[in-house]
Amino acid sequence: MEDNTRRMLLKTLTTLPIIGASVLAMHALLRYFRPTLAGGVKALMAPPDEVASAPQVAATLNDLTKPWDFKEFIYVRTSVEYSANKTQGAKIPGFVVRLPDAVPGVDPKNPKTWFVVVQRICPHLGCTFNFIPNREELSGGYNFAAPDPFHPYFACPCHLSVYDPTRAQKISGTVKGVSFDELPGKVVSGPAPRPPRTMSFDIVDSKILITETEGGGIG
Amino acid sequence: MLEKFISFLLGRPAWLRSLINKRGVVGHLWHALWNAGPNLLDWLQGRWKKMDLFDESFTEEAKTNPWYALGGMWYWVWVLVLVSGFVLMIYYVPVTDQAFKSIERIQYNWKWGSIPIGAIVRGIHKYGADSFIILATLRVYRIWFTGSYKQGHELTFIVSLLILIVGMYSGLTGYLLIWNQRALWATKVMATFPLYLDQNPTWIPGGAFINATNQGKTTAQILLGGTSIGPATVTRFYSFHFMLSFLLMIFFELRVYNHSFKRMNISHWTKFIIFSIILLVTIFVPAAFGSPANPEVTPNPILSDWYFLAMYHMLKLQDPYLATVLTVGIPVLVLIALFLDRRPEKAWGQRQIFNWIGIGGCIYFIVFSFLIINSIADLHRDAPLWYYSMGLFLLIGYFQDWAYVMKRDNARWYQTFHIFFVGFIVVSMSANTLYHYYGDIREWNTLSKPMMLEMLAQNPALTQDQAYDILEATRPTLNLWKTPAAAITAGKPVGMELWKIHVVGWLGFMVLGTVIGLRRWARKRDLAADAVLAKAKPKTVGA
Repeated sequence: MEDNTRRMLLKTLTTLPIIGASVLAMHALLRYFRPTLAGGVKALMAPPDEVASAPQVAATLNDLTKPWDFKEFIYVRTSVEYSANKTQGAKIPGFVVRLPDAVPGVDPKNPKTWFVVVQRICPHLGCTFNFIPNREELSGGYNFAAPDPFHPYFACPCHLSVYDPTRAQKISGTVKGVSFDELPGKVVSGPAPRPPRTMSFDIVDSKILITETEGGGIG
Repeated sequence: MLEKFISFLLGRPAWLRSLINKRGVVGHLWHALWNAGPNLLDWLQGRWKKMDLFDESFTEEAKTNPWYALGGMWYWVWVLVLVSGFVLMIYYVPVTDQAFKSIERIQYNWKWGSIPIGAIVRGIHKYGADSFIILATLRVYRIWFTGSYKQGHELTFIVSLLILIVGMYSGLTGYLLIWNQRALWATKVMATFPLYLDQNPTWIPGGAFINATNQGKTTAQILLGGTSIGPATVTRFYSFHFMLSFLLMIFFELRVYNHSFKRMNISHWTKFIIFSIILLVTIFVPAAFGSPANPEVTPNPILSDWYFLAMYHMLKLQDPYLATVLTVGIPVLVLIALFLDRRPEKAWGQRQIFNWIGIGGCIYFIVFSFLIINSIADLHRDAPLWYYSMGLFLLIGYFQDWAYVMKRDNARWYQTFHIFFVGFIVVSMSANTLYHYYGDIREWNTLSKPMMLEMLAQNPALTQDQAYDILEATRPTLNLWKTPAAAITAGKPVGMELWKIHVVGWLGFMVLGTVIGLRRWARKRDLAADAVLAKAKPKTVGA
């Protein structure tokens, strides 16, 4: 071993730059697959780039007059795409649900508290969940025995997660800088780790206007 | 100066050598670590020479035993899939709004302006790919059950398993190209999967740091070509789908060329029969392509391709983080099991634990697929049942093996009984089963209903919602070390306690078993070394 020291040293000295060059080449290759705005080594650990989307109308107040009226809508979120177009409009399906006045937190004078607005992308593994207004479908199709008195639930057909729109679950996060500490749609059955992703909305001229969506889901 | 320092390190100085020469567990471990690089290289070189990709070293056996012809059939099917794929590339358009239409045009060849034999080419590609997965799976099981990964053939098994996984991924990328409902939702699930890499529990050492590096999101973006499924996803998947198969095939061809193997150990008649079977299936059961992708509606029920069904069912029964870890972990566990099988015995009755691992895998695959196709899932009932059965399979295997070893060594029962292995299985089986039964995060709602009614009867001032919230606060969660204080005062920490017993018992048995095993191993090595020394330097008489 000691006889080979000079050769070993030379080998080591030539190997190091080769290893360095391969690491740089791998880095470039990864950047080829994921051309984010963040440059350098930061690009390997940077969160996804974001693009602002314009506010869109989800529903009008006339659509949702009675308790448990609901409306499906599509919010088109501009998302980054590594193609010639650079961005694409990803369709984010959503639900607006009118809650009954008896639900805690609903203020009859403040229209903003009447509605639950969620993204329909299941936070478990990304399927689109449904609004289930009857007990039989919920117990038969989604393996969930609802307690009395019955009210509708959100339920996902893929892995049978069920969310209760009347109750909130503690979870912290932000939507475009505005932080929240709880979200409606508590998980009551199934493997989902958290309530559905939220959307921030305003009521302008009796229209429900979606201003921003929580990120993270695959559109 | 630097040269001197490096020579000092490379020369394995005396103080380091003294560590190697030291006897016992530490010395031997240090020795193993010191020689890890060269040993690993030796190991790989030996296995690389013996690696058997398509049963090319079983040419004689294959003539009489079809199990040894699986490799040849597999290769033949792969060729069929590649060739039909090249032909399909002429008409397929990898753009979201044309992909489905182009497939429709290839498939419906009785319409005007149709592509002659388009449906047949597509059918051969589709059913050929299915046969590829079937044959690859059967071959992996054959290697497992016959123990032919032993005596230096480990790499054969590892590479077969890797090709099976690559084949499944190739299938997944392939069926997105059709751009139908099944494809879209399977891709969504697949791409959401890595996001759980960013949701490691913070009690794992370094968990918070890994979360901060966004590796899950990075993986998802590399797969999808952006933050959502779109045109970039289709082109990427098209490229991966083609690249994986084709590059692997080139690699195999190079190996065949270098070693002058016989490429397929099957006769031309067998090739013809396989081709005919695929052709007949194609003609009588035209390959389906579902309805066009619609990101607004998830059909209920929605199923993946058949080889993912069992995994898909498992996702229902698990906490998603655990399920992700398990899905990635199953192949890793299989590889670990491979290296735990150290004995040279290959016969069926002489390695029952590993047989039962294989049988269990088959059973879960078949039963889970059946359950999800028929949409049978009771989330509360099923998970404990499966955990229980898993432990049971291992225990049956263990006791059969124990009986065999006792007979082989003509030993008393306590001499060959591995209390740590049995304890490990019993503790994990029972605690995990009970945890999933009593403290499960799922179906708590159904369980808590009678409790809620009782609470309301005792305290009429409570509203139903308040009672519900109290119960929710006492609900055991999947948090390993923190039993909620409210749960302790309510006297219902059963789920948490079981989970703790499970983890502590599991780790305890593992550590104790490892330490005792290592001590035995070190002692054996020392005795062997002494024997060598005694042989080399015979004591002089009278000295």
